[in-house]
Amino acid sequence: MVEGKLRSRTFRRIKVKTPGARVTVHYRRRKPNFAECGNCGVRLKAVPRALPFELKNMPKSAKRPERPFGGVLCSACMRAEIVARVRND
Amino acid sequence: MIDVGRLCVKIAGRDAGKKCVVIEVLDNKFVLIDGETRRRKCNIIHLEPLDETISVEKGVSHIAVVDAFKKLGIELVEQKSKKKTVRPRTLRRSKLAEKPAELKATLVPKPSTKDVTSVVANVEKSPVAKKPRKKSVEKAVEEKK
Ligand SMILES: [Zn+2]
Repeated sequence: MVEGKLRSRTFRRIKVKTPGARVTVHYRRRKPNFAECGNCGVRLKAVPRALPFELKNMPKSAKRPERPFGGVLCSACMRAEIVARVRND
Repeated sequence: MIDVGRLCVKIAGRDAGKKCVVIEVLDNKFVLIDGETRRRKCNIIHLEPLDETISVEKGVSHIAVVDAFKKLGIELVEQKSKKKTVRPRTLRRSKLAEKPAELKATLVPKPSTKDVTSVVANVEKSPVAKKPRKKSVEKAVEEKK
């Protein structure tokens, strides 16, 4: 029996074939949820579903779009936000 | 609304939120813009027109646009592309001899590896106690004989 923390479904299970042709279960952290728009909640494209240690080695431009509010708002909400700010001034 | 000299804010892409001026109307869909943004062709649905206009002629140079923006109180930051740093390349001595004299100045011969080998040789010579074999291995060796 594996240790207690591995008995819950916190970790995802991966079947790995060992060199001795035995299939064992390995435990990995689950991926985080999809990034969502802070305004309308739509799934953000171009934002990877990766663990922090994976994100650490990624270049900045691979982690979010290269525009204002990139990775925070979807493009439609970003446009609406900028237009609203321009018109209020 | 969108004509030459109109000040706009770009609302799409990486230049979104930056001010620009229409320099040329290309057709009923596209215009040429310059200013805080890069000088480029742009769809008019990606532009939010402002009330102000600048008196610029059709197709003015970037320098003229910089001056026009200065009058508005907007300093344009010139973004120069990075220059490549010249690194001394390493080349083998034999190949270095073949190269013409002008190239030789920029090329540097590889550091000699002779010193390294002498150090390695010294290390190998120093006595290292052999690990005693396991009994099972010794038996197997004897059986083979
Ligand atoms: Zn949104």
